[in-house]
Amino acid sequence: MIGSKILIVDDEEIFAGNMAKLLITRKYNVTTVHNGEDALLELEKTNFDVVVLDLKMPGMDGLATLKEIKKLGVLTQILMLTGHGSIDSALEAVKLGAYDYLTKPCDIFELVRKIEGAWKIKDKEEKIETQEKIQKIIESPKSVFSMFPK
Amino acid sequence: MAEKLLPDHDSNHDLEKGHNTYYTRLTRRLVLLTVVCSLVPLLVAGWGINIYYARFAKSRMISSFRTELEHHRNIIELFIKERSSKLQLIAETHSKDFLTVPSNLNDIFKLINREYRSITDLGVIDSTGRHLAYVGPYDLLDKNYSETFWFKAVMNKGIYISDMFMGFRKEPHFVIAVTATHNNEKWILRATIDTEVFRSLVENVKIGETGEVFIVNQQGIYQTSPRYSGKILDSSPFPVDEFYDGIQTCIQESYTDSNSQKKIPRQIMSQAWLSEPCWKLVVKQNYAEAFSDVNLANYAVLIFLHLSAIIILVVVILITRHMICIIKKRDGEAENLNKQLVQTGKLAAIGQLSAGVAHEINNPLAIISTERQIMIDLEMQKPISDPDFKEQFCDSMAQIDIQIHRCKRITYNLLRFARRTQSVIESFDLNDFIQEVIELMEREAGSGGIKFFSHLEENLPALQSDPSQLQQVLLNIIINAIDACENTSFGTITIRTRSTKKKPGIIISIADTGSGISPDRMEKIFDPFFTTKPVGKGTGLGLSICFSTIKRLGGNITVKSTVGEGAEFEIFLPYSPPQKLLDDMKKPDRD
Repeated sequence: MIGSKILIVDDEEIFAGNMAKLLITRKYNVTTVHNGEDALLELEKTNFDVVVLDLKMPGMDGLATLKEIKKLGVLTQILMLTGHGSIDSALEAVKLGAYDYLTKPCDIFELVRKIEGAWKIKDKEEKIETQEKIQKIIESPKSVFSMFPK
Repeated sequence: MAEKLLPDHDSNHDLEKGHNTYYTRLTRRLVLLTVVCSLVPLLVAGWGINIYYARFAKSRMISSFRTELEHHRNIIELFIKERSSKLQLIAETHSKDFLTVPSNLNDIFKLINREYRSITDLGVIDSTGRHLAYVGPYDLLDKNYSETFWFKAVMNKGIYISDMFMGFRKEPHFVIAVTATHNNEKWILRATIDTEVFRSLVENVKIGETGEVFIVNQQGIYQTSPRYSGKILDSSPFPVDEFYDGIQTCIQESYTDSNSQKKIPRQIMSQAWLSEPCWKLVVKQNYAEAFSDVNLANYAVLIFLHLSAIIILVVVILITRHMICIIKKRDGEAENLNKQLVQTGKLAAIGQLSAGVAHEINNPLAIISTERQIMIDLEMQKPISDPDFKEQFCDSMAQIDIQIHRCKRITYNLLRFARRTQSVIESFDLNDFIQEVIELMEREAGSGGIKFFSHLEENLPALQSDPSQLQQVLLNIIINAIDACENTSFGTITIRTRSTKKKPGIIISIADTGSGISPDRMEKIFDPFFTTKPVGKGTGLGLSICFSTIKRLGGNITVKSTVGEGAEFEIFLPYSPPQKLLDDMKKPDRD
């Protein structure tokens, strides 16, 4: 979806920059960070549609970052990227809630296809969540106050 | 499996030769050590005991010989003493006048010989040597003995026992004469000893087959007839020696008798002087006969000893050879195990290295790939106007893509080799599974004219293993077999299955009729990155992956090959996977 907000998390700065350039060319709204901690900070500030997350990073690695993102309770979809070629690690990431995985070096068209897939899921989940909220408000109008921070 | 070089048998031949030399030396050392430790003490002890026993037995024999001699000397001395004492008693108790009466002398003669006839005749002789009275078989009355040697001797000494002599009766005899005094006149009572009786005392003694007993006087004249070496009154060949007390025993070496020209064998001889008369009693026997029992025992012991030594030697050699065979077999097994351990170690080390290398290569590859895509994007935004440049640009981008994918394939294989992919254990029919693999590969092999044959044992038990990994292993081996058959016409690949009872499981054999593997390459065949395929065609990881996969599934993979005839891979798989694999499957994989 043009204009989707993409967060690229990769310790390889050149790779992250190149991916950003390619995705920006394809009309995506891209932010890059180079470690798990910065990714969490960005996610707290912005509602990203898709996070492209590298598995192996110094400090907090991809799996640990994924777990922390899931704790945030956001609907952002996560696409794992691994230069390790480890299907098992990527599969474990999928088990932990990642949308899918890609192995480096990956084709830009493959990446875009997966981002689109992830965006659709996120969009669907957002719609379901919105419907649930509307249903809740209809059922209990007072609950609308609990949706806003005090 | 592709093999295009000539086989190099030299190194293997040298190795084999070296091993054989080692085992030959080991055999020699073990045999030598066992022989030194068992045979040498046995022989030394055996010989020592034998020599000691022989000496002991011989000394006992000599002692017995001396006892024999002493016994005979006592008998002879007693015989002569008894006779001379009787004569002395008669001379002391009877007067000359009484004895010169023939009837009286005859009575005395009978009295003496009443119990034991040992005196031939008895006579009374006066101081002038005239025979006054005589009882005996000869006519010796009035004979005059005044000039005889014995008459003079008895007159001087009072008693005289003569040597054997012929005298008036012309046959060997000896006399005992005693003197008595009557009215201040000496007279002589003389008796001739029955020579037969005396000689029987000595000559009838039998000592074995070759033993003889005889008497010689001081001049070395036989006083009795020896059994073999002469006759009475002959000169003996023995040197005349001085009188001595006691008994002398000696070993007389063999010699040739000067009289008979007969060769006398080695003899044992004991001799002792009688106290009266001055005769020497000699007892002798052939040495061989005297010690025949000892020698027989000696030989028997030595034969037994050496026979035992030979038996021990033979048994030692046979046992040592058998042991060396067992050691050789065990060494071979240990060597194989070591090779497999080394192989496993190599794979583990290279696996770790590969994982790191693959990861480090994948990241730059990813950057190159993105850079390429950026260039393509840019070109699309601002198309290149020069057609040649554009064509070259497109070719280069395409080539970069090809090479990126090539590198990716290599790193993928490296990682696959390094990683332990999650196993999925299933129970399946191996024969059906192999048929599927064959069908899969027949299409690829068919174009090269290669034919597949399968000999699958019927009713194989179900196999519990990882079919996905096993399929990868079989495909790898079959692809190699197809490559090996490339340059051969009518190549065949034969797959066999059979169950084993020794180690419960199934053996899969994949044999091709390709170019084979040379012995020097056989050792490296499971090494990672070892390939004989052209650059770009093989990564050299296929068989390494097969090796590590089969090991992980609890099996074993071996290969045998003859250059020019083909190669045969044998995979053993247990009916059930090892417990370690099942345990590992429960753990999450976090590479």
